[in-house]
Amino acid sequence: MATNLVRLLEGSIRSNNAGVAQRTLRVFSSQQQQSEHSAEDDEEFRVLNLRTVKQQARRRVIKKEVVPPPRTTHMPVDQDWTAVWSGPRSFHPASVPLPLRQGYTERGAAAPSKYANAELMKIPNFLHLTPPAIRQQCEAIKKFCTPWPKGLESEATWKAIFPVEVVTTDYCHSLPTIRHPEARRVTITLKLSDLKFDAHAKDKFLRLVGDRYNQETGVLTFVADRCPTRKQNYDYALYLLTACYHESFITEPWEASKSEADMEVYLFERNKAKLSAEAILNWNANGEKQAPSATYADSVEKLINEGENEYNIAKYKEEVLKMLKIAN
Amino acid sequence: MFRKQFGNLSRVSTHLSRNVLAARVASREAEMSTNAAPAEAATAPPVVNEFRTGVGNPGEHSDVQIGKFYTIPMEEKKQIFSGGGLPKQYEQQIKTFTEACLMVRSPALELLNYIKRADLSKPVVRYVLYGDNGVGKTLSMAHVLHYGMLNDFLLVHVPWAPNWMKRPKESANSASQEGFIDLPFDAAAWLVHFKTQNSKLLERLQLKTSKEYVWSKRESTPAGSSLIELVEHGIARIKYASETTAALISELKQLATAGQCKVMVAIDGYNAFFHPITRIFSDNKQRVSPDRITLTQPFLDITNYDWTNGVCILSVDKIAMTEGYMESYLPRYLLGKEGFEHLDPFVPVHVGNYTEKEFTSYIKYYLDRHWISKTQPGFEEQLKFMSNMNPYTLMQLVRGL
Repeated sequence: MATNLVRLLEGSIRSNNAGVAQRTLRVFSSQQQQSEHSAEDDEEFRVLNLRTVKQQARRRVIKKEVVPPPRTTHMPVDQDWTAVWSGPRSFHPASVPLPLRQGYTERGAAAPSKYANAELMKIPNFLHLTPPAIRQQCEAIKKFCTPWPKGLESEATWKAIFPVEVVTTDYCHSLPTIRHPEARRVTITLKLSDLKFDAHAKDKFLRLVGDRYNQETGVLTFVADRCPTRKQNYDYALYLLTACYHESFITEPWEASKSEADMEVYLFERNKAKLSAEAILNWNANGEKQAPSATYADSVEKLINEGENEYNIAKYKEEVLKMLKIAN
Repeated sequence: MFRKQFGNLSRVSTHLSRNVLAARVASREAEMSTNAAPAEAATAPPVVNEFRTGVGNPGEHSDVQIGKFYTIPMEEKKQIFSGGGLPKQYEQQIKTFTEACLMVRSPALELLNYIKRADLSKPVVRYVLYGDNGVGKTLSMAHVLHYGMLNDFLLVHVPWAPNWMKRPKESANSASQEGFIDLPFDAAAWLVHFKTQNSKLLERLQLKTSKEYVWSKRESTPAGSSLIELVEHGIARIKYASETTAALISELKQLATAGQCKVMVAIDGYNAFFHPITRIFSDNKQRVSPDRITLTQPFLDITNYDWTNGVCILSVDKIAMTEGYMESYLPRYLLGKEGFEHLDPFVPVHVGNYTEKEFTSYIKYYLDRHWISKTQPGFEEQLKFMSNMNPYTLMQLVRGL
């Protein structure tokens, strides 16, 4: 039916305005258009092309960047290395003018060169910390430093004058707030030998401080971080030290009830050893009492407190022989 | 098991061969005696060479005799050590060698020096022998005991105290003390030992008891009866042996303090008195600690410092302990806190392994006794390394040579 209709129209259109009619007709059917073309020029077989010319994918031509030769090839010998390698950075072969090699190979073969060498990139390097770089940085911060106080030249002197060491840490970081939670922590260290004690106070002090005292090094450590600011923590740590020290000199009434089983060290004075020694020395003696010598007491205490060994036993034997007047 | 049997066999065989030898020697001597005058072995002057000394009195021993052997006459040996006091294997060796030889060693000499020098009017001094296993603590003690016997000390000698705690013959509830355990047979055996050691001296001294001891309704030992009577009563009435021991020891303390006699206390394995683990069980199957044994009390009492005219030689030994308590041979460890407090102040005397000189001397002695017969070159060095110059190990090693 459609073809009939077209033929009918065709006659009239050809006569007056072919161009306009053709444009209106195109909407009806493609089949019709094809037949029209074949009618126009029959000499060439035309290819059906559904896409417009614009839409057709053009093959992209990959343009290769021109790789410049490594920077090391035109580095002057007297260049400023700190400008090349200013900060910590993983290894880059083209920036380091050194023939470095690293990595595992078969036996006899040379180690892989620095180019595309993951081994070299993995390890930390100190190329930014060359002696000239350090010198340069020291030079730069020198203007912020004050001279070292006179009279505190040696470590021994300043340790004697300032026995308490305060350690705090400042943090440099990128956050909306400049307050780092760890920055408030204050650590105070000092040697126990710098404090003056009597025997009772020392014992009590060590019990009070507990594991804040390191027995091997003899160092006391107070760490304060419970207050919000550093100043408060510092004050609190000093307060702890002061309070423990003064508390240790107070003798509570219940401390007198400490029995032999509670003793942490053997004391000659409190034990049967003293009674026996006195009884033997003052056998059948009237008048003034003889007391066992201090060296004997010391040897017994050492034997018990330090534990037995050949030396302590020999010392004890020597003292006993002296006390009993057997040796010579 | 096999090794043990083998050891026994070899021992038997050596005994046999030695007996055969001895028989041969005896027969030869008999032949000779028919021809010539009878040989007087007992009165012959003792042999003196580089490893033997003629000085038979321990009181005269000095540094010159260190490393040399001296012979204890058989009667004296029988008197002192018939109830124990020498290690079993050493006893066998004495039997095999047909002579009781002891080496003069520095720990014993040191002890003898102290004893000679000490003032007997002062409270008794406690000497504690200590040392590793098998170094000769018991034999050093034996040396000193010999000295004590020759110098009129009454010997209060416990050959091996742990025997009471570890393998008692019999245990019974004590009649006199509530909750205590008696070891009647062991106590009686000790009384017999005391009697054999001291009967001669007791007869000579004529010691009397100070008070009356009432054993039961019908039995009592009146005041003023001799100590021998007391001892014999204990031996005859085994039931009361433990109490008799306690009575005897308290009497000895009093008599010694009064100056009527000198007492030498020698207790081997003394630390057993302070070791809480024993093999004695009470009626309710509870382990009895040594302080609940009636026999312990008198011996702890006599090692106290509250008497004079005496000397205490004690030895502490790892073997006296039980498993788990044998880490160290040092006296404070073995005695424990309680034992140390009881003995303090005591004189520790260390007994060590052989010195070079003692070792060579011992090897020479073994060669002399034909105990070592295979002498390959360098066997001494080899023995030295294998035994680490430990006396007991050496004795064990040369058994097979």
